Amino acid sequence: MGGVYLRTRRDNLLNVQNPDGGWGYFPGKASWLEPTAYAMLALHDDAASAEAIARAWRLVENWQLPDGTWRAGAQVQDSTWVTALAVTLCSVDGKWGPMMSKGVGRLLDVEGAERSTLFRLMSFLGVGKVEADTSHPAWPWRAGNASWIEPTVHAIIALKKAQQRLRAQRIRDRVLDGEAMVVSRRCADGGWNHGSARTYQIDSPSYPESTALALLALQGRPRDAARGLAMAREFHRTTKSPLALAWLSIALQAWGDTLDRPPDSTAPSDVMLTALEALAHPDGNHGLFRTGEIA
Amino acid sequence: MNRRAFVGFATVGVASSYAVTKLGGGQQAPLADGPHGDSAVAILKAESYSADLVRVMLDGAKACGLDVRGKRVLLKPNLVEFDATTAINTDPRVIAAAYEVMRTLGAAEVWIGEGPGHRRDTYDLADQARYFETIPSFERIFTDLNRDDVSPVKNFAGEDRFYFPNTALRADVVVSLAKMKTHHWAGATLAMKNFFGLVPGSVYGWPKNKLHFIGIDEAIVALNRTFRKTFAIVDGIIGMEGNGPIQGSPKHAGVLVMGSDLVSVDATCCRIMGIDPEKVGYLRMAADLGHVRASRIQQRVERIDAVRTPFVLIERFQGLRLV
Repeated sequence: MGGVYLRTRRDNLLNVQNPDGGWGYFPGKASWLEPTAYAMLALHDDAASAEAIARAWRLVENWQLPDGTWRAGAQVQDSTWVTALAVTLCSVDGKWGPMMSKGVGRLLDVEGAERSTLFRLMSFLGVGKVEADTSHPAWPWRAGNASWIEPTVHAIIALKKAQQRLRAQRIRDRVLDGEAMVVSRRCADGGWNHGSARTYQIDSPSYPESTALALLALQGRPRDAARGLAMAREFHRTTKSPLALAWLSIALQAWGDTLDRPPDSTAPSDVMLTALEALAHPDGNHGLFRTGEIA
Repeated sequence: MNRRAFVGFATVGVASSYAVTKLGGGQQAPLADGPHGDSAVAILKAESYSADLVRVMLDGAKACGLDVRGKRVLLKPNLVEFDATTAINTDPRVIAAAYEVMRTLGAAEVWIGEGPGHRRDTYDLADQARYFETIPSFERIFTDLNRDDVSPVKNFAGEDRFYFPNTALRADVVVSLAKMKTHHWAGATLAMKNFFGLVPGSVYGWPKNKLHFIGIDEAIVALNRTFRKTFAIVDGIIGMEGNGPIQGSPKHAGVLVMGSDLVSVDATCCRIMGIDPEKVGYLRMAADLGHVRASRIQQRVERIDAVRTPFVLIERFQGLRLV
């Protein structure tokens, strides 16, 4: 299934896997968790990829930090939003042990700095005029910073998948809050950008890739997603960004759209894009991002 | 901590009085004297992007004594977002000319690198901004700094370690190919602020919110303390006024501003734009790195008066207006 398009991308991923088991953003570069996670999802359940996946898991397991988070890359000791990607990987591969539970616990503990007592007090005192709704706890790129769309989306996907097994009220509450944050940050045009819909009372435009990601977070909330879906379908028709097109294809298929198979082409040199294009193919593993509503 | 942290939060979409109180008035510490000697800044007229920009830049490089022989040069344009109705990004013809100038001046290698702050698909942004079609061999010489391999640097803005792209750390000279724009948080975004794009999104996100929590002014200065072997070419042929750096209006100033002291380059750009650089927070903070005072800057080729083009400032920055 998937023909040349999908096979060339999977083969390309297998060919550029690093000796440490991970993938870099580009061939020959150091391993990072983000492209590694997408490559593992793209190769999931592919018989020819079993050994590669096993090597990748050894790296992912080694990269978990004592606090339950994951380091961002081979050269980076700090953890970032990629913890959510690692938790999603655990769910997909049925690794429900301590590694995953520590990761889930950490995801539940992290929220954007706008929820801190200091910021809420300053806001209450009128030190600043808030243009964004900051009442919903969501997720930052890095602990201690403010919440933004993409890290929130990945955390929601990770927790929704974890909830299918764990069934915890705290997970449900965080997901519902995260979804509310995503809804609150929608741009005036119906889509989403990185998370700043208005600046100085001027509307900011949405981005195709962010709109796709937001729709993945809002699975199971059709009323909240309706305008975004229309925007995503328009973006899917018009965008020239291969990255955005891949995310849009993944998101629209998660919402039940049937997409045409892309014409055969060689894999891009961008490893993360290669993985996302493989995932996005109608015969690819885009269904791994399907979550439905929170259980 | 409180003030810095609040600005970091503020970038979610909060308009605070922080910038005005900090930049516009109140008691300010005396401006530092700056390093020994004066700084040379070249102001060069270029009415349009159709001008012979290579010749213009070579004149500027000569006026500033730029020497890149045998060096690895990283050209760092300002590529933020694309909107065909305005002028957000460094024009590709300026980048192409700068590339040719560096090769002509004997640079061993010339690279181009950028890490946009909001968009994930840097290559698509570059395509929309016509970088691929305008800059020869762009794909071969360009690095997405957001996804480059990285190395830690110690003691950046009080952080034990802060990660930067290896391409930037390996360069002998980083050339800030900035756009002349107003900025709704910093007052102006010029050669120094352009270094935000040296911070990798793969570690700090999109946007690089960590810098906002460090403090925008503080982060600008910290970046310029870290990257000291630098040169600047500011694209003011068509800049941006009003609600920059993204939602402002195009402003024709018909000028390129060049120099190796980025503080002086930015101070000169401010004076051209009708902004008092001595009131701009990050320039005051950086006054030990370079010269802000006009008396310490040797303006080469053209005088400021010959190119002065007041930019529209948003209300909160009216206090920055040069009197």
